[in-house]
Amino acid sequence: MRYRFLNSEIIKKIQFYRERFPLKEQVIIPALHEIQNLYRDIPEGAVEELSDYLSVPLSDIEGIVSFYDMFRHRKNAKNHIRICRNLPCHLSGYKNLLDMIKEKTGANIGKNSPDKKWYIELVECIGSCGIAPAFLINDDLYDGSKIKSEEDLEKILSRYE
Amino acid sequence: MSIRDKIPNLPEIHVESNLNLLLRRAKENRTVDIEEYETTGGYSALKKALKKLTPEDIVVLVEESTLRGRGGAGFPTGRKWRFALMNPPPRYLVCNADESEPGTFKDRIIIERDPHLLLEGMIIAGYALGAEEGYIYIRGEYQAGYLILENAIKEAKERGYLGKNIMGTDFSFDIKVYRGAGAYICGEETALLESLEGKRGHPRLRPPYPAQSGLYGKPTVVNNVETLSNIPIIVTYEAYFMNIGPSGFYGPKLFPVSGKVKKPGVYEATMDITLGELIEMAGGVKNGKKIKAVFAGALGIHSAEELDMPMDYSPKGFGGTGTTIVLDEDDCIVDALVVITNFFHHESCGKCTPCRIGTYEQYNILKKLKEGRATEKDVQYLKHLSQNIPANSICGLGLSAPNAVADALRKFPEEIQAHLDRTCKVCF
Ligand SMILES: Cc1cc2nc3c(=O)[nH]c(=O)nc-3n(C[C@H](O)[C@H](O)[C@H](O)COP(=O)(O)O)c2cc1C
Ligand code: SF4
Ligand code: FES
Repeated sequence: MRYRFLNSEIIKKIQFYRERFPLKEQVIIPALHEIQNLYRDIPEGAVEELSDYLSVPLSDIEGIVSFYDMFRHRKNAKNHIRICRNLPCHLSGYKNLLDMIKEKTGANIGKNSPDKKWYIELVECIGSCGIAPAFLINDDLYDGSKIKSEEDLEKILSRYE
Repeated sequence: MSIRDKIPNLPEIHVESNLNLLLRRAKENRTVDIEEYETTGGYSALKKALKKLTPEDIVVLVEESTLRGRGGAGFPTGRKWRFALMNPPPRYLVCNADESEPGTFKDRIIIERDPHLLLEGMIIAGYALGAEEGYIYIRGEYQAGYLILENAIKEAKERGYLGKNIMGTDFSFDIKVYRGAGAYICGEETALLESLEGKRGHPRLRPPYPAQSGLYGKPTVVNNVETLSNIPIIVTYEAYFMNIGPSGFYGPKLFPVSGKVKKPGVYEATMDITLGELIEMAGGVKNGKKIKAVFAGALGIHSAEELDMPMDYSPKGFGGTGTTIVLDEDDCIVDALVVITNFFHHESCGKCTPCRIGTYEQYNILKKLKEGRATEKDVQYLKHLSQNIPANSICGLGLSAPNAVADALRKFPEEIQAHLDRTCKVCF
């Protein structure tokens, strides 16, 4: 069967995880990570294909996508900004950082920027409270306390396409 | 090329230690590779364990060390291992690297900067437990840590510290890393095992305990990153380990300190340090302000009168991960509680109704309180919830969800009142 979303690169990774772990269910989360890495989020079609490829019920995979916060269905923004809102970051004024990021990117919480370049999400503690307010752009971690001006923020944002 | 050139951006987190045990190699923001690890004494504890000690010797050493689990519950590690050993093989070792409790960022320092310390601890633990396989369950957001661990495992395999017939002995052991995907509850050990088996992270009913029936239904030991990183130190120091720190709470401890302190960061100290001394170590309160409260332990609240509390696992100690979040005189307790209760409401897995609904109700009342819309009756209901959520929940999340609320009601009644009267200077 030909797949639209599970390309040969992802199939190769899935096979790698299939050999690493004894249960086929153990491939679901790693495979979803791979899919999200490639497509930036999880296309509905990819879930169906994964269910078919692994022979696990679609509902099991959908259950996982909805349970785990890192997985999200199609938003189609190029870059994903995750800003921590938990206590240490709250005390360090993550709200100012959020306002700056909203303004500079044109995106909003749960919404893409008009150019689809950015998507913003508020998240719970990301284990970086020593550099609060902390935020992630894709997998890169940043120290929000170092962002004092618009230029500081621009410098970081300009690293992303 | 170092692994750091290939991984995501990792900014500087401040780290300080006057013990130089767990953080010996971890004070700078870089990853120690196997070469440097070996030349600074690394893998000598493993060598000693495999060549001079039996698995039983190691279990006895760990029992005598009084080492307690650093993942939050403080359960004696030796006892946990002994319990698992009472059940027939195959046995599994699982390292809990989910680290998602607000204010907690200690395990990542070991993983990102000195990953072989954790691997060496795991290999020795695997040998002691008669396990052939170990897993590291790492939270999904630690992508850099995941790549660093994968790389370290590869290095260890190349040098014969992992894999078949380790260092020419009969002992074979493999370590596999598994990434989570964003769920605080997956740090709870039975939810972790569900997640590791490829399911949603819903805690299991106990008994059976993981030591009886854990991963794949087999006896399993789940230990925290910091706990396992203590193992090479125990094997190296043997009885001298008992010179580190106070009686009954021996060994180094990591304390992640955040909030309104001058130098937020991870501090390594013995457990006779008091809360006040720890805050001093972190430079004291920022901008010369006074302390109002500290969120510590299992997210309980301590007042400025309790700064002489020891940071150990005694009944009057902090009893938790070592997490310390400092609030100053300008912060509002109710405002902080809105954040914390929202967190628990968001992270409740929903399996037990009192936890699922109760955490939501807590959050709603606190929001009302903060906005000046709450009544005395709401506060009474909050008290009721803080007793009834823990009483009817099956896992530690439900048990600890109302800790901060209950502490605030007891220790800061005037702040609660100030919101009923709409006189809080921060909120109104
Ligand atoms: C909601 C919840 C979250 C937890 N999160 C973690 C965690 O992120 N890391 C951890 O090591 N232990 C965590 N624990 C504690 C584990 O259940 C378990 O006690 C621990 O991994 C045992 O290891 P230790 O004995 O070495 O401390 C959590 C417990 C609960 C109830
Ligand atoms: S206490 Fe809460 S988090 Fe724990 S199992 Fe019950 S509903 Fe889930
Ligand atoms: S609270 Fe924001 S990183 Fe921990």
